[in-house]
Amino acid sequence: MRNTAESTVVVKGASSSRGALHRLIKQIPLPLLPLFIFLTIFFFWPIGAVALKAFKDNDGAYTFTNIQLLFQDPYRLAFKNSISLGFISALVGSIIGLILAIAIEKRGGIRLKKFVASISGVLANTGGVPLAFMFLAAFGPEGLVTNFLKAIGIDLYEWGFTLFSFTGLVIVYSYFQIPIMIIVFSPAVSSLRREWQESAENLGASRFAYWLRVGIPILLPSFLASFLLLFASAFSAFATARAMTVGNIALVPLVIGSLLDGNVTLNQANLGYALALGMIVISILAMVPYLYIQSRTSKWQK
Amino acid sequence: MKKISNYVSKNILSTTILLVAAFFLFLPLIGATEFSLRDGGPDRHSFRSYKWIFEQSGFKENLGVTFKVTALAVVLNLLIMVPTVTWLHISGQKYRRLVEVVTILPLIIPVVALATGAQTALPSFLHNTVLELSFMYVVIAMPYSYRALDIGMSGKPLNTYVAAARNLGASWLKVLLTVITPCIWPSVLAALFLTVALSLGEFTLAQLLHWSTFPTWVSNVSQENILGATALSVGSLFSAWLLLFGFTFFGSNKTDSSKDKE
Amino acid sequence: MTSTSLKVKGLGRQFGTVLALDNFSIEVPKGELISLLGPSGCGKTTALRIIAGLEKSDAGEVHLNEKNITNVSAHLRNMGMVFQAYSLFPHLNVSENVAFGLKMRKISRSERTKRVNKMLELVGLDHHHKRFAHQLSGGQQQRVALARALVIEPEVLLLDEPLSALDAQVRTNLREEIRRLQIELGTTTLFVTHDQEEAMAISDRVGVMNKGRLEQLDTPDVLYNRPTNDFVASFVGTMNHLPANLVNGTVEIFGKTLPTQKTGNETGKVNVLVRPESIQVTPSETSANATVVTRSFLGAASRVLCKTDDGTIIHSLITNSSSDSLHPGSKVKLEILSREVMVTNV
Repeated sequence: MRNTAESTVVVKGASSSRGALHRLIKQIPLPLLPLFIFLTIFFFWPIGAVALKAFKDNDGAYTFTNIQLLFQDPYRLAFKNSISLGFISALVGSIIGLILAIAIEKRGGIRLKKFVASISGVLANTGGVPLAFMFLAAFGPEGLVTNFLKAIGIDLYEWGFTLFSFTGLVIVYSYFQIPIMIIVFSPAVSSLRREWQESAENLGASRFAYWLRVGIPILLPSFLASFLLLFASAFSAFATARAMTVGNIALVPLVIGSLLDGNVTLNQANLGYALALGMIVISILAMVPYLYIQSRTSKWQK
Repeated sequence: MKKISNYVSKNILSTTILLVAAFFLFLPLIGATEFSLRDGGPDRHSFRSYKWIFEQSGFKENLGVTFKVTALAVVLNLLIMVPTVTWLHISGQKYRRLVEVVTILPLIIPVVALATGAQTALPSFLHNTVLELSFMYVVIAMPYSYRALDIGMSGKPLNTYVAAARNLGASWLKVLLTVITPCIWPSVLAALFLTVALSLGEFTLAQLLHWSTFPTWVSNVSQENILGATALSVGSLFSAWLLLFGFTFFGSNKTDSSKDKE
Repeated sequence: MTSTSLKVKGLGRQFGTVLALDNFSIEVPKGELISLLGPSGCGKTTALRIIAGLEKSDAGEVHLNEKNITNVSAHLRNMGMVFQAYSLFPHLNVSENVAFGLKMRKISRSERTKRVNKMLELVGLDHHHKRFAHQLSGGQQQRVALARALVIEPEVLLLDEPLSALDAQVRTNLREEIRRLQIELGTTTLFVTHDQEEAMAISDRVGVMNKGRLEQLDTPDVLYNRPTNDFVASFVGTMNHLPANLVNGTVEIFGKTLPTQKTGNETGKVNVLVRPESIQVTPSETSANATVVTRSFLGAASRVLCKTDDGTIIHSLITNSSSDSLHPGSKVKLEILSREVMVTNV
């Protein structure tokens, strides 16, 4: 029996017609029902609600106003900032992570790799207030690192450095972005078989030619996928952003947070949903290619 | 001789890079720890700020809330995921692709957006209790817990074990107790642990749904006392890291039996 | 005199405390296929990799066509190598894989296409141009690897256990193809394997290696019938080791006294080395000296396992005839057909 349920499940629950829904439910085997019911209530329905309400105004009528507002300041700026932050944080994280992943692979050793895997797992989940305050304390005006640097002649704050800036965010985000990169990209690096390098050498390729024609082409898809993941991660981050900014940088998650806190004006009631929908769309644009590339490259990474 | 010097210099470069990375890794932590131990200035140190944490009224209460939410999230997660994944593996994996796709979906949606939807779409009776968070935590944890269970069970031919046990005369109950449970136990632990780690530190949903849990309490309290806030942060970090690190190191030994297949 | 293509002198290599190669030397004349045969750890792969330039030796030299290439980089040696598995580039299809070496040599595209197509036809994969490695079977992958190594017209073809990862049937077929190609193209070839049947079947000569040393380099025929030491005798083909007493250079076995390769007055306990086909098995009630344990029917011949009164298991190979009545439990008389035997000290 062909499983047509797969294609219809992705459609948001609220917008399927009654008939399709019925057919859909009939096709799911009994043991899987708890899972699907749970997800419908606590995942598909909330997402559907966001998608729906983004197009409604205060009176419940359908409108594009909310969406249109997204393309105007201050919301346009928020999106611009969030996307820039995502991109730059992904760039920094992926490049540094790449270097570290290669260094780890070169160094080798089961113990090292296990240790790195554990630490990366831990750091990748670090964020929010604890992370922010850790940096603020160490790099703050009275911090140990600041004082240490002062002692060797570098006065950070003289240069106008502050953690409460775009740069500061990128620096703090790197603390979890780089570990994420290592986790996601290391399998690709270790999948580079020695035989490929030796075959290439044997067939006449210099070190440079090997990297150009074999190494980099093989690693590129995984690198791209990892980059996308890092982008989505930085774009969607809320807790850390909230702790690190004092309202000086407009970011989409923060704007949504403020709207949900009740800082709403009359016309903006459903704007939060529109913003959330915008986040969902951008996130999907990054994550779906990521998942696709991952599923393809895992074929030769066995 | 050329190859040997290549080997050495390659190793030196890699090791240097790793050492530099380790340095930058621990730098903020050391700085923050030092800061949190300060007592009136950079030269005097004590545990005063840490004592302060425990004196705060909200500490015990919010920690309790977080524990409650985490406990329920774990129960729900295992209740839903373990039978489902076990059934998938025993029944011949026909629906595996479908479940794989469906459980990865929460990963694609930003938590902020999910929270926005949850705020309006969840059944209203749930909105009265902080435990509504548990349900949402199960959703966010799903991509990870599904993968943990799936990978753990993939390493073992559950079908074959069940068939062999039945062939040797075991009833379904015996099969469940003596064959299935021990086999899936490591992956169940892994899924359990992932859910705990996620729930203990989750901030976004709690904040946006206006509940007071330990992470949100930490955020609020941090506004008042920077030393205390730092101590709190350092304390949270250390505890979380110890927990996570301990598990991945200790736990990975248990799940490594699937590596024998290589 | 044929010009020597590949010459290796006094190679030595040590890994920590393990001596992988011990003064290893070999000459491979142009156009010959020589196998390096031995158990794991005997150094055969190490030797091959040093010849390919993938590893450095601690001592010794490698010469190609009279030129010393010991310090030449691997990618400049113009040798084709086939690995045991996984060597095809995953991101390139079959054509591109095979063309890789030509691309490195800056051959023009049209010429590349021509040569690649011809080579793929030679290995029987001319309809697989656009496939990728993971879409091919193990045997097909190795054929692509072979094509890739041969298309560059290398000075030497090096094969590192290319068949070890394949199914038995594929292995037998592919080794014949390798030999056929090698003869057709006249490529000097060094073939490393631990499978003695493989080595014996396709090589001009076989070099048996043990613990880093070359024990004997000869044609399969000589290796089988005139092994120079116990290791070679036991490694190549099946060999019986029959305990006996050496007295003044002769042994008594199955009631007959036979001369051995040992001259002089040597005396003591030895093992007599006898090939299965050199043992005659006759059913007998009265003068039996063994009992049949099992009989494996092999078509034209049978492998008969017998057990003597003192418990020694003897492997024999007999031609089947409709009149023989050998089955498990039969009492038999064993006799050695050779006029001289080889012995080794216990």
